Amino acid sequence: MKKFSQMAIPYIIWAVLMLVLPMALIAFYSFTQPGNSIFSFSVTLEHYIKFFTDADFLIILWRSIWIAVKTTVICLFIGYPVAYFIARCEERIQNILVLCVTIPMWINMLVRTYAWIGLLSEGGPAQRILGLIGLGDTELLYTEGAVLLGMVYNFLPFMILQINTTLCKMDESLLAAAADLGATPVQTFRRVTLPLSLPGIINGITLVFLPAVSSFFIPKLLGGGKYFLIGNMIENQFITVGEWNFGSAISMIMAVIMMLLMMCVHKVEVRG
Amino acid sequence: MKKGKRPIGKILMVLMIIFFYLPILYMIVFSFNDGKSLTNFTGFSLRWYKHMLETGGMLEALYTTFSIALLAAFISTVVGTFSAIGLSKSRKLVRDLMEQVNNLPMMNPDIVTAIGFMLLFITFRVNKGYMTMLLAHIAFCIPYVILSVMPKIRSLDPNLADAAMDLGATPWQALVKVIIPQITPGILSGALIAFTMSVDDFIISYFVTGGGVKNLSIMVYTMSRRVNPSINAASTLMILIITIVLVTINVVPVLVSKRQKKEERSGRKVPGALIPLAAAVVCAAGLIVFFRFNGAQGGRPFEGQVLHIYNWGEYTGENIIGDFEEYTGAKVVMENYDSNEQMYIKIANGEAYDILVPSDYMIQRLIQEGYLQKLDQSRLDCLDKLADAVKGLPYDPENEYSVPYFWGTVGIVYDKTKVDLETLEREGFNIFLNQKYRGDVYLYDSERDSFMMALKALGYSMNTEDPGEINEAFEWLIRCVETMDTETVTDEIIDNMAQGRRALGLIYSGDAAYVMSENENMGFYLPLSGTNLWSDAMVIPKNAKNPELAHEFINFAASFDGAYDNSSFVGYTSANQEVMEVLSGEGGEYEGIDAYIPRSGYGLDEVFVYNEKTRKLISNLWSKVRIAESNAN
Repeated sequence: MKKFSQMAIPYIIWAVLMLVLPMALIAFYSFTQPGNSIFSFSVTLEHYIKFFTDADFLIILWRSIWIAVKTTVICLFIGYPVAYFIARCEERIQNILVLCVTIPMWINMLVRTYAWIGLLSEGGPAQRILGLIGLGDTELLYTEGAVLLGMVYNFLPFMILQINTTLCKMDESLLAAAADLGATPVQTFRRVTLPLSLPGIINGITLVFLPAVSSFFIPKLLGGGKYFLIGNMIENQFITVGEWNFGSAISMIMAVIMMLLMMCVHKVEVRG
Repeated sequence: MKKGKRPIGKILMVLMIIFFYLPILYMIVFSFNDGKSLTNFTGFSLRWYKHMLETGGMLEALYTTFSIALLAAFISTVVGTFSAIGLSKSRKLVRDLMEQVNNLPMMNPDIVTAIGFMLLFITFRVNKGYMTMLLAHIAFCIPYVILSVMPKIRSLDPNLADAAMDLGATPWQALVKVIIPQITPGILSGALIAFTMSVDDFIISYFVTGGGVKNLSIMVYTMSRRVNPSINAASTLMILIITIVLVTINVVPVLVSKRQKKEERSGRKVPGALIPLAAAVVCAAGLIVFFRFNGAQGGRPFEGQVLHIYNWGEYTGENIIGDFEEYTGAKVVMENYDSNEQMYIKIANGEAYDILVPSDYMIQRLIQEGYLQKLDQSRLDCLDKLADAVKGLPYDPENEYSVPYFWGTVGIVYDKTKVDLETLEREGFNIFLNQKYRGDVYLYDSERDSFMMALKALGYSMNTEDPGEINEAFEWLIRCVETMDTETVTDEIIDNMAQGRRALGLIYSGDAAYVMSENENMGFYLPLSGTNLWSDAMVIPKNAKNPELAHEFINFAASFDGAYDNSSFVGYTSANQEVMEVLSGEGGEYEGIDAYIPRSGYGLDEVFVYNEKTRKLISNLWSKVRIAESNAN
């Protein structure tokens, strides 16, 4: 027995080095002012103060959260019916449909996003279709709508798959029992199916919200040069501005907010 | 249950499949487009595939994507499985703690995880490249493997291993012959998840890579600013590979299980999982062999050596890299940047390159901070070919450190059908505040040149150190982004202006030359208030690994052939006098395009001077302008 538990030791060391230490470094950078080396630094709260006292930064934080909420809600309202329908198909078709939802996830997320550029760009098919109903001049690419679309497109499979998994696990005799006891289909759905699929919904929400709130390449590719989210701010700090301490502070803020949100969501789950 | 009775459900499925596959299909179709457009299909051709094969970088990117995914999936599956078994037998405290640690990469936004890795590698001075990318991928894949193996272990009888050992098995035998076969489904699904996560990843790879190592997503990201259908071609190739892998994984087990039933009757057994695995390994080995041993010839002076170039995006001619490789036998690895500042950060972090192509003020900064080496004049044979206007500029008066590459001005590109020259002449850069063009202007994402524009519009020197003047310029820019519904772009401006999408834009003269050669309605105007006279030059950093080869490249790029290829393809003004004359002369590519020949000798034009204090100020103010712009929309 002892022998087996020793097998975990290399991984524990690895995890400390590769998972815990990086987070500790972000925290360290976020609370310090750069010196000439890692050994000379001064502790400061300046970066956090800078972030929370600037209305512009807060607007961006708010906008990022808001677009992530919109993405999550849309994914939920599209994803649930789709997952529900898939779960009701016979097994062979179910497998094929699940594969159909999975394949886009295998194609790299950046390629997936890039694929929309042609469709949405000026004079492209989407605009031509809008032109048929007299909206030909609507700009599609480089708008908030395009960013939202890109996010839904990228993250919808997560939602569908999570909900579908819980729906498939559900004991179907429960539905029959509810019907036998006189529940209407709507009641059955509200009182039985929905509560039972709640874990899937919550996992789905997590898996959609988390990447949506921190995305930086979707706003950059589809939102053009005028749509800034918190992810873009972090990228900028590290890649072009070079203020790593401030960038680390923004990362910490985001990580903490996410952690709090996730804790709330899991409370709902426990209660459910 | 009711099976597919509802037409609504079917319609929903069809819509979903259209939604998921239409963009992918569209991309595949346009990878075969004869033209460069992403919206007009002008005929079938394999031209972009040919281009992809010739540029080389793309195939390497595909190779990196898949080799990392296979290695990361394999290693993380092995490590993850053994660790999960180990953890399941550990004390509860350790187990719970590790569960939390394992959750870190899953509960953190990707960008936070990515930055954590980047800081880790930089703090401990690990050279970023293929290895760091692989390590990071393994690190974020293992938790998924553990997560998928753990439930299977929990469902096992905890005494199973003991029973095996009581019956005389060694611990290793108990593990391999008893435990692992029982949890194989969990291991396989863990491996699949790890592979998927790795192939899908962009964010983490983007932050931990270095030394010119790119996977496909990084490649697409850095190239996506200009229309480039080879991206479609490379993506299509990737989709093809993925489809083959998926079909193998999904179809082969079905075939195998059919055969197994047959063979069971005859008494033999083939483990079903082994075949797709074997197929994957064979594919991988094939790929590796194909890419690794691709052409080797002997007898050239720099055979087998590597030259690392860090240059602006889209800043080299079509053939120069290939020709140089052919001529020297060396291999060129090129990385691109969008701004001097982005380049500087990497240099300051100690990343090693052999050649950089920074702008004037940045060269001055790099010299001041001791990052550059003096050029070995005895190895250079190109200085006498330089145009007079770019020789001995203030940032490097004796050309001790740098050999100019391109030069030019910054001006206004405008649509002659929408903007009349008279307004431009009257307003100069202030036309960017003219409400008539609201929603019709591009700014350029360069802190230096944006402040240059504002300072010149206000009638100040662009090298001012007066905080009051800089602040006025800041307010000018804020007014511009808040009232004009601007869009701040980088290279996107080139294709977009060539297609006439905006009336006005701030642009580098060389990009304007390209735009004008593509669209005759476009004009280029240099305000009378003066502008930035810039030059980009080749330099060799102190930590260059191959300075000898770097000198060779400088000579090559400054020679007539190299400079001609660069300038005719990119559109920027060559620093080579003869090339400049030929290209702008009769029958030259840029005959009659005034943007190609920079205005020289005009008193109000200036060259940037580096000043640390104003740089910091301007850099901070520019981020504020960007944010204000974003919030104004």
